[in-house]
Amino acid sequence: MKRSRFPLIVTLLVLLFFYLPIMVLVINSFNASRFGSGWEGFSLIWYRRLFDSPEIWRAVQNSLVIAFGATLLSLLLGTTAAFALHKYARSRLQRSHYLLIYTPLVVPEILTGISLLMFFVALGWELGLWTIFLSHVTFCISYVAMVVLARLQDFDYSIVEASQDLGADWLTTARKVLLPMLAPGLTAGGLLAFTLSIDDFVISFFVAGPGSTTLPIRIYSMIKHGSPPMINALSTLLLVITFSAVVVSQRVGEGTPPGS
Amino acid sequence: MKNNWRNSCFSAFTMVLLLSLFFVSCGQKKRELNVYTWADYFKPELIERFERENNCRIVIDTFDSNEAMYAKLKAGAKGYDLVTPSSYMVSLMDQQGMVRKIRPELIPNRKNIDPEFLKITIDKSMDHSVPYMITVTGIAYLKSRVADVRPTWALFDRQDLKGRMTMFNDMRETLGAALKSLGYSLNSHNPEELDKAKEVVLRWRKNLAKFENEQYKSGLASGEFLLVHGYSGDILQVQKENPDIAFTIPEEGTAISCDDLVIPLGAAQEELAHKFINFLLDAKVAAENTEFVGYLCPNRLSYELLPREMRENPALFMEPSVRSKSEVLDDLGRANELYIRVWDQIKAAE
Repeated sequence: MKRSRFPLIVTLLVLLFFYLPIMVLVINSFNASRFGSGWEGFSLIWYRRLFDSPEIWRAVQNSLVIAFGATLLSLLLGTTAAFALHKYARSRLQRSHYLLIYTPLVVPEILTGISLLMFFVALGWELGLWTIFLSHVTFCISYVAMVVLARLQDFDYSIVEASQDLGADWLTTARKVLLPMLAPGLTAGGLLAFTLSIDDFVISFFVAGPGSTTLPIRIYSMIKHGSPPMINALSTLLLVITFSAVVVSQRVGEGTPPGS
Repeated sequence: MKNNWRNSCFSAFTMVLLLSLFFVSCGQKKRELNVYTWADYFKPELIERFERENNCRIVIDTFDSNEAMYAKLKAGAKGYDLVTPSSYMVSLMDQQGMVRKIRPELIPNRKNIDPEFLKITIDKSMDHSVPYMITVTGIAYLKSRVADVRPTWALFDRQDLKGRMTMFNDMRETLGAALKSLGYSLNSHNPEELDKAKEVVLRWRKNLAKFENEQYKSGLASGEFLLVHGYSGDILQVQKENPDIAFTIPEEGTAISCDDLVIPLGAAQEELAHKFINFLLDAKVAAENTEFVGYLCPNRLSYELLPREMRENPALFMEPSVRSKSEVLDDLGRANELYIRVWDQIKAAE
C-alpha cells in the first residue's frame, strides 16, 4: 500500500507558516527600502546603522542582564515553590499558596505593570533595572513553578528514598538524583522564563526607570519614530546567534560520553 | 544530556556575572540628564557634543505613545529630567501640575523660535514648555495616477479614487479634517459642528479603502493606495523612495502636531535640562536635528541653514495663508467624550 502524502504536506505547510515570516524579515533586513514595500536592491545600510546606534546596544544589554538574572532567580524560587506545592498538596496553606502562584498567570499584564509601579513608588524605590528584574522574577516564578510541578506529578519519590537508604546525604541526593531527574522540567521552565522576560513589554514599560530601556520598549518606540529595518537587522543577528548556539550545544552534547 | 545541562547552566551564570560586572563598571560619577522621548528624536552626534561640552552624560529612554508616558508619570515614576510629549498632552500635564515652569533667563536662544509659529501654539508665552518639533497633517498622492489635484479636503469626495484612499484611524485627525473642511476649529467643543463633521466623515468613508495609521506609507509607495491622509514627516521619508509622491496641504487649514520640551516636576537636574533646551534651540543644532528627524524645528534662524530641497518643500514649510488657518491639536477636556461618541458612531455605521 502506498503511504499517504497528506502528513508530509501538512508538515511542510506548518513549517512554512512558522518560518516564512522570519524569512521575510531576514530578506527585508538586506532591503535598501525603508518601508519594505518593494525590493530596492541589496544593501547593508541597516546593519551599519545598527552598529552605529549605541542606544540599541544598551537596550540589548539591559534586556540580557534582566533575562539571565530573572531566569536564574525564578528557577530557584519557582522550583522550591513547586516542591512545597507537590509535597504538601493537601494542606490548606498550600492550596492558597497554589492560588497565589497561579494568579499571576491570569491577571492581565497591564494590571500587574501598573500595580507594581505604584508599589515601587509607594516604597520610594528608584525605578531602574532592579525594579524590572524584580517584576520579571514575579511573573516568571509562576511559569517555572507550573512547569516543574507538572514534571513532579509523575516523579517517583522512591528513588530519592533509595538513594538515602544507600547512604547518600541530602546534598548528594539532590545533585545526583533529583537534579538529573528534574533537568528537562528545569530546562523547559528556564527557557520559558527567559523568553517571557526578554520579550515582555507591558510590565517592563511601567517599571522601567531612567537608563533602563529594554529592547522591546525601544522597538515599540522605533515603530512609530525611527527606522524599523534596523530591527530586522538586529533580529537577523539574534537569529544567527540563537541558531548557532543551538547547533553548538547539540554538538557538545553529542561529544560527551553518556553517564559522565 | 546531564553534563550538557550543567554546562549550559554554568555558562549562563558566567555570562550574567560578566554582564553585571560590565554594567557596574559603566556607572561613573558624572552628572546625568535623563531624557524621556520618542526613538531617534535627537541626532546622536549632537548628543555627544553636548555631553563633551558640559561634562555630563545623557541617558535616553523611549516611549511609544503620549498616553502610556502620561500613565507612567502620573502613577509616580520619577527620575526623568526632560520629556517630549505632544502639545495636547502638555496642556493636560500642566493642568495637573506635573510640569515645572520654564526659567526664561536660562534659555537665551528662545528668541530663535519662529514667532509666526508661536502665534498658533497652545503655550504661547513658553511658560511651561518650549516647542521642539512640528509635523503637519496633509494629503499625499501619486502624481502620475491622480490628475488635477486641488489642495482641499474635498479630495476625499472624489469618486474616481474610490477604494484607493485612506484616512487616519484617529478621531482627532479625521474629525479635525472634517471640521476644517466646514470652516470650523478642529478643537471645537460645539456638538452641532461635530454632528455636521460626522456627516462629512460618513460621506468620505464610503470612498475610503480603510482608516489607517501605519500601512499607508508602504501602501502609497507601492501604489496600493493613490491618495492618503498622512504626516509630513512620514511622507518625506517615503518620497525619498518614490519620487512620484507629492504632498499637499489643504487650503482650509490643517492640524499641526507639535512635540514640546518640558521639565517634569520630579526632575533632579533642572538646570542642566534648561541648558540642554537652550542647546537644542541653537540655530545650527536645530537645522541638524531637522535634517536628521525629517520634522521641522520651528527655529527661524535655522531655516536658511537647511539644504535647498528641504527649504522649498511644502511638507516642511507651509504657505503663510494656510498656516494662519491651521491649528495645533489641544487637549479637549470634557469635550473628549463628545468626540469619542461621534467617532464610535462613525466606526459603527455601515
